[in-house]
Amino acid sequence: MSGDTVPEYARLFVEGLKEADVGVVAALPESLLASVYRLCAADNAIRYIQVSNEGDMPGICAGTYLAGKRALMIMENSGIRQCCEPVARLAFQHALPMVMAMSYRGEWGEQNWWGHNHAQTMAPILEALRIPHRLVTEPDEIKPAIKRAFKHADGSNWPVALVFSGNCVERPAYAAD
Amino acid sequence: MQRIDAFRAIAPLIAADDLVTTSIGATWDDWWNLKPADNTFFTGVLGSVTSTALGLAVSLPHRRIVAFESDGSMLMNTGILCTLGAERPPNLTVLVFDNGIYENIGGPPTLTSRNTDLARMADGAGCLNCETVRDPETLAARFAAMLDDGEMGYLVARIEPGKHPWAWEDRKPTDGIEDKYRFLRYVERLEGVVIHPGAPQN
Repeated sequence: MSGDTVPEYARLFVEGLKEADVGVVAALPESLLASVYRLCAADNAIRYIQVSNEGDMPGICAGTYLAGKRALMIMENSGIRQCCEPVARLAFQHALPMVMAMSYRGEWGEQNWWGHNHAQTMAPILEALRIPHRLVTEPDEIKPAIKRAFKHADGSNWPVALVFSGNCVERPAYAAD
Repeated sequence: MQRIDAFRAIAPLIAADDLVTTSIGATWDDWWNLKPADNTFFTGVLGSVTSTALGLAVSLPHRRIVAFESDGSMLMNTGILCTLGAERPPNLTVLVFDNGIYENIGGPPTLTSRNTDLARMADGAGCLNCETVRDPETLAARFAAMLDDGEMGYLVARIEPGKHPWAWEDRKPTDGIEDKYRFLRYVERLEGVVIHPGAPQN
């Protein structure tokens, strides 16, 4: 893929953010959603805040929500381990909605030995935090998933997570069949 | 200078239409008694006070945003200094009350009591206007300047240990849910927006 090529999933992802009125994106870039980070960083309509630790992002999202705006945090699924405590506190103590998007490192067929632990811990942590999560694997699912994620979070006063895999990442984390 | 002295020095500088986040602990009771309005989100997370203020600052660039930090909270997540140093929100002022101890749990030292200098860390991370002050007069003068200089500020107030003995009935009585709604409704009125509708939409 050349540097000028925008994958369909990434184009739809950023269009979905705009249609959902998301003005702030906090992210720790990684490889599986690489084009999303690149597009967000280059888009003047999105305030893209790059962090050095996923633990910064729940606060940024909470502050944005309390300002009456919408924020999305994006990371690899390993990041849920780093931001577990602030997510837990902001949810359980303050009942704050929050929308997180994460790439599914360690998806079925993962060929990298170091990626499997991310999958092994992702769902148990999300479930321990009582965070509803949905898998997004096809491009036509992206926009409705983003839109509903914000509705669900706002309606429940609680975080939600979208997990991107399949045809909604740079290339699948698993080996070619 | 104890924390209550520092708070009393800067409290008159916070207007009702400024928005504030605070660290946990005795800070809550002090500021509960001094705040001018429900303009404060009493952030119940060590390490997320400044990041919450950053979210407010980038979303409401026309408003002055203040984070009342503590050394324990800053040390929990010093990475936020790098994010601040990159973003440099011009409407954000961070004031760290640094007493060098975890006072609310009995007083074991934090690492600022050893060799850590938070203002120098912030400066090294790219933050602007990073200073340390040690007396109420200088604190008030520098804080006032940072609020209105059109640049971010990172002010560390080195304070002596000691909690103001608030009477039980004067201590902050609200929990985290009520804190959220008080602040959220206050922002709604201030900004003329609806953040969380009070009733189902259909």
